[in-house]
Amino acid sequence: MKRQRFLTILAIAGAACICLNACVDLDITPKNVVADEEVLSTEAGVNIYMARMYSLMPFEDFKYTAQWGFENNGWLNSTGIEGTGEAVNREGLSAAFTSERTAYWNKGFELIREANYLIENLPNYQENFGEELYSHYLGEAYYIRGMVFYTMAKRFGGIPLVTKVIPYPASTEEMEVPRSSEEETWDQILTDFDKAASLMMAKSPMEGYANKYVALAFKSEAMLYAGSVAKYNQEVSGRLTGLGRKTGVRVIGFDAATWKTASIRYFTESYKAAREVMQDGGYSLYKKRWAANDPEAQYQNMVDMFSDLSSPENIYVKQYIYPTTTHAFDAYNLPFTFRAPLSSGTCPTLDFIELFDGFDRYPDGSIRVTSGDQNTSGNYLMFDSPLDFFKDAEPRLRAYVIFPFDEFRNRQIEVRGGIYTGDTPIKPFFSNYGYNTADTRYQNLSIYNGSPKTLYLSPREGGSQEVVDYNGRQMRAAGEEGPFYDNGEATVTGLYLRKWLNTDPNAEGGEGKSAQPFVLMRYADVLLNAAESAVELELAGANSPDGSNLMQTATDAVNEIRERAGAVLLQGTLTSDINGRNVVRKERRKELAFEHKSKWDIRRWRVAHYEGRDGFWGETRDKNKFSNNENYRFRGLYPFFSTKTGKYFFDARFQWVASKTYGYTPLNYYFEIPGGEVAKSNVIDQQPNR
Amino acid sequence: MKKIIQSGLLCLVWLISSCSLFETDNFEAPDVTLEGQVVDVLTGKPVFTDQGSEGIRVRLTELSWGDNVEHNPDFYCMPDGTFRNTKLFKGNYHITVDGPFIPLLRRDPNGKELADESLIMDLESSHQVKFEVQPFLHVEWVGEPTVDDGKVTAQVKVSRAVSPEDFRTKVEPMGGYSDDFLNVTDIQFFVSYSSSVGYRARDERWSSRLDYAGNSFDNLFGEAITLESNGTIPTGRTVFVRAAARINYDTPTGSGTKRWNYSEAKEVLIN
Repeated sequence: MKRQRFLTILAIAGAACICLNACVDLDITPKNVVADEEVLSTEAGVNIYMARMYSLMPFEDFKYTAQWGFENNGWLNSTGIEGTGEAVNREGLSAAFTSERTAYWNKGFELIREANYLIENLPNYQENFGEELYSHYLGEAYYIRGMVFYTMAKRFGGIPLVTKVIPYPASTEEMEVPRSSEEETWDQILTDFDKAASLMMAKSPMEGYANKYVALAFKSEAMLYAGSVAKYNQEVSGRLTGLGRKTGVRVIGFDAATWKTASIRYFTESYKAAREVMQDGGYSLYKKRWAANDPEAQYQNMVDMFSDLSSPENIYVKQYIYPTTTHAFDAYNLPFTFRAPLSSGTCPTLDFIELFDGFDRYPDGSIRVTSGDQNTSGNYLMFDSPLDFFKDAEPRLRAYVIFPFDEFRNRQIEVRGGIYTGDTPIKPFFSNYGYNTADTRYQNLSIYNGSPKTLYLSPREGGSQEVVDYNGRQMRAAGEEGPFYDNGEATVTGLYLRKWLNTDPNAEGGEGKSAQPFVLMRYADVLLNAAESAVELELAGANSPDGSNLMQTATDAVNEIRERAGAVLLQGTLTSDINGRNVVRKERRKELAFEHKSKWDIRRWRVAHYEGRDGFWGETRDKNKFSNNENYRFRGLYPFFSTKTGKYFFDARFQWVASKTYGYTPLNYYFEIPGGEVAKSNVIDQQPNR
Repeated sequence: MKKIIQSGLLCLVWLISSCSLFETDNFEAPDVTLEGQVVDVLTGKPVFTDQGSEGIRVRLTELSWGDNVEHNPDFYCMPDGTFRNTKLFKGNYHITVDGPFIPLLRRDPNGKELADESLIMDLESSHQVKFEVQPFLHVEWVGEPTVDDGKVTAQVKVSRAVSPEDFRTKVEPMGGYSDDFLNVTDIQFFVSYSSSVGYRARDERWSSRLDYAGNSFDNLFGEAITLESNGTIPTGRTVFVRAAARINYDTPTGSGTKRWNYSEAKEVLIN
């Protein structure tokens, strides 16, 4: 009894403590918070500071999904599916790059603050470091700030240029920074990268750090973006530009009077930066396994290069370490039978492989699958094995894409759309392959669902497969790796991705099991930046910034990449016209595919909206073949087996399974500023054209 | 048992110790209705459109909300050029529409307001508004569509609803003016099983279009133009057809969206 009373008193006392909250100021410097003098006065401390900044860096790699933005979890990570045409998949996130669910805004300013803080406070501790290292640290801060500004500018245009640590708390005037004009923004990015390059060491002081040439390489990429935007905004109807409502600042686009000089200025800077990397950086294309006239070696070389950390081509790499820092790229992108837990996240398109050399073509340049002069005429071409269709394909393409029946992890990737039991020669399945009939599928054909039935397809894998009797054995209509018309978890285009995937046959499957590095910047990027800015300068009638022959530089750069890729070399020098420019653009589309780069290229060339869409592929293609005036879509390449001949033939058809369309309007060239940011501030402007 | 009740009561006291328990925290549901129509100022006829972001956009801004207000979420007119919103809060609103007509809100290249023919009004209960605008084009049927072998053939007449001079007077001060703005770029012939046929609800297999480069349409104004559907439409059902034309001018400026002026929809039996 006594005990109980004691407990009751105790409970009441306890409750009183909880309910009656105390309000005494606890003004003591906490022992567990690390202050400036601890962090900024030693190398080890600065390394921690840098690690924090790098953890916030907006890298588009295995943790980035275009539809969702920088959410840093890597969920459903794929490459090239955001309406670039490189690939598609079954998911809703395979949609055009018109916005990001998590807009890159707050996170950006968080990192900018860290960089500004370092710039302002490191000088207090200068005596603790060697001169070179001290400058390098400052350079890193400028580099990181430049990268964040660049990441934001290509999304939003003009942004608030926060170049100092904003005190907090403070008055509204001190804290509110309006958006600058787009031109000022790019100028600031230029300044930051230049400052970084002048301060940083030529070689990174530690693995994972940037260096002078990293800054220059990204500078050339950023300036190429800026120059293109300044120039090609003019070609969007009504000139893509406007003034902010609240500030009257030209937050998107360029002034009619300055766009031309600005564009030339940016292309010049891009060219200079790229040339400096080429001449002094000591990088070169990866050719460890490469051998002239040996497609097999050239192919293997390009497979190896993305996982070889010692590659002389790597300028900037995001590394992963098993088992602590991993990603799940394999788990989402391996072919169907490897699925763990998912698969086929990146299905390359026929339109993409049409960029490459080594295919027989129709007069209009598309890949030939029949004997006629377009794919509605003639008979299907027959092949002993689907691989024969690709026997002359560019080695680079084979390193990026798994062809039907090609080897991957010692397994043959059996991709078959279906089986045809009718007589030969075989006429094209459809009478119309145009955009307007894209939604008529193989399963709608009367040869499939009518009688006599001569076409066999499979809705799903395993027991759901249709079976055909062939030479006394039971043959499944679809391949083990699909495509299945009711299951988008196998390939939806007839092709699989090879690039970036772990090729080790014994690799363990599953999420968080992959540790391949992601190459964020490589020497080929720089070569292509140099080539494109050179052609643009020549087109604008500008002088060579360093006296070098612009078109020769561009030609050499393209040829260097083509030689390594096993592609056909250019004959003579590139011409200084749209054709020459398109050669460079197309090379870029090919070489940098699946690297999260093309979506920015399409954007800065302003070729995603209907009026500009002829230039979508870098080369000129009639947009009406893959688009109506709203949406566009891509094609697959589906192998079929003919039981009468024992041979394979191909049909080129708009994506058959999980059919995707993509839409883009000029509005999307500048992402919407997050509504909350506009609403809560008196100075942040929304995009004027929204 | 007693202990459980006691401790339960204590928890309750603790949980509610910081709440304003008896204060209702509620806001009345929006109940203001705004109905409107967009008509041609000259003829008084409705300006037809399509329901989607390429149609006539209605933008409301609740000025009484305070400074620095953002506009309400946009919505779009129905195909007959009318709109209705029954879930608005009471307040003072700026109401504007953007579509295939001379912009109501016009600014010069420096962002200075030249004219604003939008409405600014207090919304309290139920309101009807009418926007009298100057559409770019009139698209009218000539005769009835005919069907032959699964193909629909129709004739339309496209005429200017605003004179080039008037267009220029109003649009030129907005900067970047070009005579190309007035060129008709294309005529669309939308075919669909849906009665709300238009840009969004067209059937790709059968819809067709005619494109016009430069000013090549100029001598076709007022002429009967023949439109023919694509492919073969299966017999036995009715389809709806609609024609639309547009000029080379985007509204609102800078959006890159060139909006069509539509004809009425017609029902056609395929036999």
